[in-house]
Amino acid sequence: MTSSTDFNKLLTGIRARLPIQNPLHSFVHNNILQMFENLDFHDAVKEAGELYRAKTYWPVEKYKECFAKKKISEVDIMEALNHYMGYNHELPFLPLLGITKKDFFYRLMFSELNFNDDEVQPELDDERLWMHCREKVRNENLVLSRSPVRWRAKAYWEKHHNILYSSSIHPLVTRLIGSYLDQGQSFWGNPFSQEGFWKFVAYDLEQTDNFLSGWQKVFAKKMKEGAGKDPGNIILNELKEMNIPEEKWESYLLDILFDLKGWAGMVNKLELEPWQATVKAPKIQLAEYLAVVLLIESSVDSYFSTTHSLDINLIRGRKEEIKLSGFQLSLGLYQIAKAMKLDERWVQKLKVSDALALIDGVDAAEAHHNIRLWHEAFEHHYHREAIQTLMSRKENEVKPPEMAAQVFFCIDDREESIRRHMEEVDPRLKTYGVVGFFGIDMKFSTYKHDRLIAQCPPVVVPSRIVTEVALDTERGSFLRRIYNFLGITDLAFYYQSRTMFRGLLTTLILGTLSVVPMFFQIFFPERARNMKSNIFGLFSSDLKTEILIEKTDAIHGYDVKEMAGIVKSVFDMCGIRHQFAPLIVLLAHGSSSNNNPFRQAYGCGACGGNAGIPNSRGFAKMANDPRVREVLTGMGLSIPENTVIISGFHDTCTDEISFFDLEKVSDEKKSMLNDISKSFTEALRRNALERCQRFSLTEAHTDADVAKDHVLERALDPAQPRPEYGHSKNALAIVAKRDLTKGLFLNRRAFLHSYDWELDPEGKTLASVVLGGVPVAVNINMDYYFSLVDNENFGCGSKLPLNLTALLGVMTGSQGDLRIGLARQMVEIHEPIRNMTIIEAPLERVQNLFESNKRLSNILHQHWMRLVVFDPTNGKWFQYGHRSWIELQSENLAVKTVKSSLEALTMVHTNDFLEIRS
Amino acid sequence: MIQSLFLASLFAPFSLMVLLGLSFLMRIPMYERWLSFTVKYFSLAMAGMGFTLWGLVWFHSPSEVLLHYGSWIKVGEYSFDLPFIVDLLGATYSLLTSCLIGIIFRFSRNYLHREEGYFRFTFLLTVLWFGLNIVSFARSLDLLFVGWELVGTTSVLLISYFYTQVQPVRHALKAIVSYRLCDMGILAAAAWSHHYLHSTDFVALPKLLHHDHGGSALIFIGIFVIFASLAKAGQLPMSSWLPTAMEGPTPSSAIFYGALSVHLGPFLLIRFHDYIDNFPSLLIAIGVIGGTSAIWATLVGRTRSDAKTMLGFATITQVGIMWIEIALGYTNFAMFHMVAHASLRTWQFLRSMSLIHDFFENPTVKQDVSIRRDLSFLKLLPEGARKKIYVHALHSFHLDFFTSRVIRGVSFPMKVIFAVEKKMMVWDNKVLARLLRKN
Repeated sequence: MTSSTDFNKLLTGIRARLPIQNPLHSFVHNNILQMFENLDFHDAVKEAGELYRAKTYWPVEKYKECFAKKKISEVDIMEALNHYMGYNHELPFLPLLGITKKDFFYRLMFSELNFNDDEVQPELDDERLWMHCREKVRNENLVLSRSPVRWRAKAYWEKHHNILYSSSIHPLVTRLIGSYLDQGQSFWGNPFSQEGFWKFVAYDLEQTDNFLSGWQKVFAKKMKEGAGKDPGNIILNELKEMNIPEEKWESYLLDILFDLKGWAGMVNKLELEPWQATVKAPKIQLAEYLAVVLLIESSVDSYFSTTHSLDINLIRGRKEEIKLSGFQLSLGLYQIAKAMKLDERWVQKLKVSDALALIDGVDAAEAHHNIRLWHEAFEHHYHREAIQTLMSRKENEVKPPEMAAQVFFCIDDREESIRRHMEEVDPRLKTYGVVGFFGIDMKFSTYKHDRLIAQCPPVVVPSRIVTEVALDTERGSFLRRIYNFLGITDLAFYYQSRTMFRGLLTTLILGTLSVVPMFFQIFFPERARNMKSNIFGLFSSDLKTEILIEKTDAIHGYDVKEMAGIVKSVFDMCGIRHQFAPLIVLLAHGSSSNNNPFRQAYGCGACGGNAGIPNSRGFAKMANDPRVREVLTGMGLSIPENTVIISGFHDTCTDEISFFDLEKVSDEKKSMLNDISKSFTEALRRNALERCQRFSLTEAHTDADVAKDHVLERALDPAQPRPEYGHSKNALAIVAKRDLTKGLFLNRRAFLHSYDWELDPEGKTLASVVLGGVPVAVNINMDYYFSLVDNENFGCGSKLPLNLTALLGVMTGSQGDLRIGLARQMVEIHEPIRNMTIIEAPLERVQNLFESNKRLSNILHQHWMRLVVFDPTNGKWFQYGHRSWIELQSENLAVKTVKSSLEALTMVHTNDFLEIRS
Repeated sequence: MIQSLFLASLFAPFSLMVLLGLSFLMRIPMYERWLSFTVKYFSLAMAGMGFTLWGLVWFHSPSEVLLHYGSWIKVGEYSFDLPFIVDLLGATYSLLTSCLIGIIFRFSRNYLHREEGYFRFTFLLTVLWFGLNIVSFARSLDLLFVGWELVGTTSVLLISYFYTQVQPVRHALKAIVSYRLCDMGILAAAAWSHHYLHSTDFVALPKLLHHDHGGSALIFIGIFVIFASLAKAGQLPMSSWLPTAMEGPTPSSAIFYGALSVHLGPFLLIRFHDYIDNFPSLLIAIGVIGGTSAIWATLVGRTRSDAKTMLGFATITQVGIMWIEIALGYTNFAMFHMVAHASLRTWQFLRSMSLIHDFFENPTVKQDVSIRRDLSFLKLLPEGARKKIYVHALHSFHLDFFTSRVIRGVSFPMKVIFAVEKKMMVWDNKVLARLLRKN
């Protein structure tokens, strides 16, 4: 047996379980449990829940509350049960109860079994039954079979010897790894950053040897022994010495790493993908970090077992027995009989051994199934309502007026509302949803900054490099110098103000001056922004820039043919072949917020969390290019000469729309744009009003102007922990013609992809639409899901005490773990519902697509998402269940109708679906 | 005019504190909107008053107004008097307090929106406000102690704002132990000066000193005062609590450890400067403490990689420099330094959330940010020495190790006493047993 291959296997297994969050400067929405996607959703979250020490669903009371509020109905429960039956559950004790599996689950959901909880006072109404139960198992004892075996001594030390890892051991690790991974936040870089973490720690202990005490001495000794050895060998040797059985190695090491899971994940990330670092990744290896924490663990164990004269081998591998006494057993039997609606005669007939097996089994089943069932029912309620609304929606007979413009939006759920408002305000506007990078997979740099930023979905590897240049090169380079100078000043100020003598000087000079920006930003955020832009406007306001997207010798862009391909694919997705409006407006989106470490989580997911401006500008440039249009005509897509494509930007936080590159647009078109801009403005006002409902603002409920000011202030305020609610509440992804959803109020909960099945007989466009959009939607959905259900362990807790660390992430308070996931203030209004994707296309086409793509088929088969297909060829609806397609029947649900979206706003808190009919 | 403004600025925070406290005790529901509305106009008024008062004092001659409001209690010869002084130092500190707390109130209105502890936070800030105004204008040590304690208590309660978690509570404990230890300094100084000089009046003390009643014992008053100011200012050896105190919401860290609480150390020394000035050895001590703290903190701070701890060390550094300034006699300069520093740090704390994106968007940060930050005189040292300094600085030059040694040293006699007591009890029992057997 070679130890290195052994170790590599072990390490690969560990890597696959560590958190995968990026540094905060880049896009963070990933399915936190992406590494678990090969397991069924429920099983995966169970495993992950143990690893993350986290809850993986809402607390059961919350679901029951929904049931009481009719947000879960009896029908949902039955449907959820039916769906749940598809899983293969083994319930060996079922014959003892004499009821069907479904009945058992149903009754389980409404039972209150708390017999293994000492703190709850049991209710015993039925005295006869209680007597019999008491009689039956009075003298028995039972150790539940789900009692855990623990290989780590940590819990033992904490429980019996008051040794707190979080205060005596973790600060050392945090300080070492924090300073090692630092990207430039501290004034001194770590002098060992290119020599390896192991060397750094070894040197550190060697130097500070005189000041160590307790377990640290043992640790230092172990480190000395390990000098010069391979970390893999050290780990394997240590594990053998610790007498951990080989099959437990992985879980044992993971358990240690998950004490500080954020740091472990970051170490792993920076080792595997060093380009993700904010500035520069140090030389770091997970193996070295793992060796260090493992040695600490074993030092702590051996130190405390010596001082307390304990045999450590008895602590490792101890079974923590969950033991039920005679009273608890009788209570258990009583509660089971009650819950399953059985009487004392049944109890009488029961054998004692059967009774014990039953209690053990039901206890495990309750822990395992109860909450899953409730969760399924809760999801089902929303999903059913969504499907039924779409099914029973009636076609609008009013013939639309002639198109004034076609407006392309991102598929983002936040754009659902503004699209709806636009169509209501101005029926001459037609809206489409395409993935917001418009098919341009590029790395992009501005004229101010050389840094290349990936402007495409995180699942795509950018293939091109595109830059922005100033048209007036002289002024461009002048401005560049100014920005450079400002950058230097900024950095100098940052570092120097924290030192001693230079700090004194900076303090004296800038100290009192700092009151000015502080005062204005906090009291008058809007004025502060205006002042800032006025100052910068003095020299840069009228600077025109251009995006160099065409392939030349110097630029790694697209050639004309590729451009035509990109343009065509976008028009194909939208189903536009012949009907062109004179104006086509591309609205990329982004979100501005101030003083917000999670800014990237609010941006355009399809552009890697950045604003999509370069993509929309690039696309407009391509599509307006006569050469591209010529090629397009050859490909069967002739854009009339009269049609102009204009790039624009929608800021989802401030609710502002701006346009770019209007110099070449003719005056006639400009006046047309002005005309529709009025509709845009009105739509934006209404959108702001709708968003204010989510913030629960009473004063902004009715007045759109107040609402507009309010959302702007939110975006600019440095004190605002909730500039917007991001993707909160997202639950649907609809891939269909707009006709399917037009006139429906979806409460900003749906990703809307445009797809015209009629133009795509081969299913190629469908593939690009679904592959570009659905995985991102699922990732976002799962990120919100987990950050919501356990904000402390999957998310990063409250935003208030966060502390930026090493330019990589945040800690809570002054020291501790690097936090993962989203903050409580970002997800607090979310509801844990898995993504349901609804596709309007022939069933077979969808099936082929999902079978051909590995990740898609995985997340579908393992229930990380739900899939519904509306087959327009026969008008039937299908839902994917357990490896089979079930045809859905319309229940002719009466969807509430309202006159307009504005009217709907009074009902947003109670209704997710409304039909709008004027 | 000065007098009435002074009274108003003392009573306004007091009444707000009482109002909020009572409404809480009487369980009157306090809606966030009402609270933020009240606080908004209140801070506006306070800032206005602060400016006016400051202006009046600036143009007033003599530059200090002494006020006296009788005494609170009298026991024999001792009386707890209520003497106040309105001078430039007090007016400046009070104005700084009003402005910064006003800003923090506005900031936390959004920052702590929908937060369960919003009321608690606001209430504690009003307590802080009242406490700071007492400290600003108090003319005797007895009176100053009242405000001093209020500030300390609110500080500790806000460190443990998230009191359901372990770490904040532990760090709050660390802070309160340091505070209480040093608060003994004020008490001791008060007792000492009552004993020897029969007064604790800041203005009277230096004059009494020249009549010389107590001889060499009088230097102890100065020593105690210096000791008292150590903890609040985070100067050595009482520094280790400050960097770990960043557990509360960001605005509270900003107001306490960037601005108002941490500068009470230099404030007390400036107040006592006329007295301490008579003992050159004390001035040297202040300079040495400040100098070592500054060097220590700047070196340690350079290795810290998280925003708030780093700012904590940077603050200790600058406060250390203020101590040097005070030791050299530049009290007005130190005062200016204090104001400038408080404003700067508050803003840096509040903005600390933007750092990642500030760096990422900075056109000069590419793959080699290290070039800029390594511009330091320490570059002159050989690499080995730099590594050594780095590692020791990372461990705060083992301050915690030495502190625990001292604590162990102090607790040694106690341990001996306990051990002897235990032994004696064993003997007692043996003797008793023997006696019983005999009978």
